[in-house]
Amino acid sequence: MNRRSYLKSLAIIGVIASSFSGYKWYQLHQSVNPRDLLDKELLIAEIAEIIIPQTDTPGAKSANVHKYIMDVIINCTDVKVQNHFIRGLNDFEDYAISSYEKPFLKCSTKEKTSIVQHFADNANYKYAILNKINNKFLGENFFSKFRNLTIEGYCRSKSGATEGLCYDYIPGNYDACIPIKINQKSWATK
Amino acid sequence: MFINRNFIDAGTYDAIVIGSGISGGWAAMELCKKGMKTLLLERGRDVRHIVDYPTANLHPWDFKFGMNNTNIDKESDPVQSNAYSPASKHFYIRDQDQPYIQDKPFNWFRGNQVGGRSLTWGRQCYRLSDLDFEANVKEGVAVDWPVRYKDIAPWYSYVESHIGVSGQKENLKQLPDGEFLSPMELNCIEKHLAQSIKKNDQNRLLTIARVANLTRGWDNRGPCQNRNLCERGCPFGGYFSSNSSTIPAAMATGNLTLRPHSIVTDILYDEQKQKAKGVRIIDALTNEVLEFSSKIIFVNASTIATASILLNSTSNRFPNGFGNDSEQVGHNLMDHHSSAGASGAHDGYSDLYYKGRRPCGFLIPRFRNLSGSENHNFSRGYNIQGHGEREEWGDKSGHLTGIGKDFKAQLTTPGAWTVWMAGWGECLPYYENTVSLDKSIKDKWGQPIIKIDFSFKTNENDMMDDIKNTSVQMLENAGFKNVNGFNYNKPGGSTIHEMGTARMGKDAKTSVLNGYNQMHDVRNVFITDGSFMTSSACQNPSLTYMAFTARACEYAYQQLKKGDL
Repeated sequence: MNRRSYLKSLAIIGVIASSFSGYKWYQLHQSVNPRDLLDKELLIAEIAEIIIPQTDTPGAKSANVHKYIMDVIINCTDVKVQNHFIRGLNDFEDYAISSYEKPFLKCSTKEKTSIVQHFADNANYKYAILNKINNKFLGENFFSKFRNLTIEGYCRSKSGATEGLCYDYIPGNYDACIPIKINQKSWATK
Repeated sequence: MFINRNFIDAGTYDAIVIGSGISGGWAAMELCKKGMKTLLLERGRDVRHIVDYPTANLHPWDFKFGMNNTNIDKESDPVQSNAYSPASKHFYIRDQDQPYIQDKPFNWFRGNQVGGRSLTWGRQCYRLSDLDFEANVKEGVAVDWPVRYKDIAPWYSYVESHIGVSGQKENLKQLPDGEFLSPMELNCIEKHLAQSIKKNDQNRLLTIARVANLTRGWDNRGPCQNRNLCERGCPFGGYFSSNSSTIPAAMATGNLTLRPHSIVTDILYDEQKQKAKGVRIIDALTNEVLEFSSKIIFVNASTIATASILLNSTSNRFPNGFGNDSEQVGHNLMDHHSSAGASGAHDGYSDLYYKGRRPCGFLIPRFRNLSGSENHNFSRGYNIQGHGEREEWGDKSGHLTGIGKDFKAQLTTPGAWTVWMAGWGECLPYYENTVSLDKSIKDKWGQPIIKIDFSFKTNENDMMDDIKNTSVQMLENAGFKNVNGFNYNKPGGSTIHEMGTARMGKDAKTSVLNGYNQMHDVRNVFITDGSFMTSSACQNPSLTYMAFTARACEYAYQQLKKGDL
């Protein structure tokens, strides 16, 4: 390693260290009390419903997506992801208060939507590579994680699969190439 | 754990088969049909066809965590949880119960139950050809196969006619046609890719996969209902497994004794008769040690377990392992690589879709190094397997942005056509890729721990580079966009095609088995799981194991009749 690349690497380490302090690491690795998540059930249900709303087909709330999200976060993700997720929900609350001076659940539908929209807009970097780096060092963005779990929970739910999508329990045949129908929905499973 | 050391003579049979997976099931059926009283020993629990498939009829919403494994699963099964989902976990072992040592990362996915991994296999059925059987001798690699295609071809037909294989005849020398039921059908994007490949290179073609999924009723099973939930066990018997086919057939003869929970520790050697006299097991439920005797023994424990049984079966005659004069037992471990490939999306055919979930994809048969005059930086070759589909919610969740009504509409309607494909590549037999026993540590049965030392090498890595580049090129030539070449760099074992640890060969000094899967050194023992493979070829191997098993059973039976065993 020559002097120039040595200095460069020091600079990079400095940048990483400053953006990712020891305290933050410590916070992320503290174990989580499931209660902290269960307390936020209504908030989770509201956000999920704004992501996948009721239209002519059921939305996330009636599909019980919030239960799925909590079950998966508590049982299937590591402590780091759990902390990240709870912190993300807190950020949501904070943003509601700083923008509208009231808790998220007290906001109007329009206000709620604009809060969720704000987080959706900031969920991803424009460049895929930055998302990759971010996911690697800090974990998946809170909102992306939330949205992906909402998708999973909805599309695997009974109402999501059978009404929001097209569920074919026992197809029998395989029709390899058929004309698509008007308003064709995706298959729920593959 | 208390193990009862008073050996109990538990009975005498004509034949003992160790392991009830795809090859053991075949051995049991063939031997029983020949009128031999056969004991089929299985390390794990019993799994009865249909009644023991608890998840087979479940809906997506019946799984509380979707297809996510729990933290407890991931911690207690650090290997198996990479292969199973909540829908198939019950067909995999618990890692904590049966630890092994990985000198280098190696995924050993195990299904210790009646039927073994025939319940969860990929069902691809491809014949080897003389391109494969002659490769070692032509290149001076390892040892020559003692078998050529003409020797095994009738047995391929025999097996295919029993299990039912759907597929398309293509008249290729490197991938011989078989006895096929009518093929599954390619969808629009796959046909599009097939046409482009044919147009761009006359040596290449894309065909529908050849799979043991039934396109019509067969042997009182099926047809396949296109649910694509095979790994859960099929309540329609739509695909072949030991459970749905060979074990019931063996049972129907009245000659089969099936004994689950039987951990084989040793094959016992009779010094005077210079033959195997039987096997020793630990009953996993009672911890009793039992001995069974028989005239012949078929070892079908799957290659890593088979090697470990041989290495553990020491005697005055065989201090280094049973039938191991050649010192090859445990060596030459192979697994196909399936890490490299490409994916892409296509703008066309947006007015077309499909109905049903076909349980297979397509195959681009091997096109590399067919002639010997090609100039690549690797020997042997690969076939490409993949599938085309329209993006559904699971594919979109990674990149779909936004919220609300429009987002929902996009999420729930069919997206672009995509193709994903990867190369299944040959792995050369390297002496240093080994299975051995670490006798300093014992498992809960008091047995030594298995140690696996395996890595892919330059030939495999160079081949992966070619797979990636070639896959990208084929998709780009066919007008695909956002083409993404990849190499997942999966560790060995990930393709679940372990083989080679008791290879067959012409010379007893350099191989463990002869051309009939018979041990050179102990002539009443036959090994017909993946252990016998002298080279790996690039074809999915189960069909070959079954064909060699049926052939070995016939040979053993004839030898026994003649009094030669």
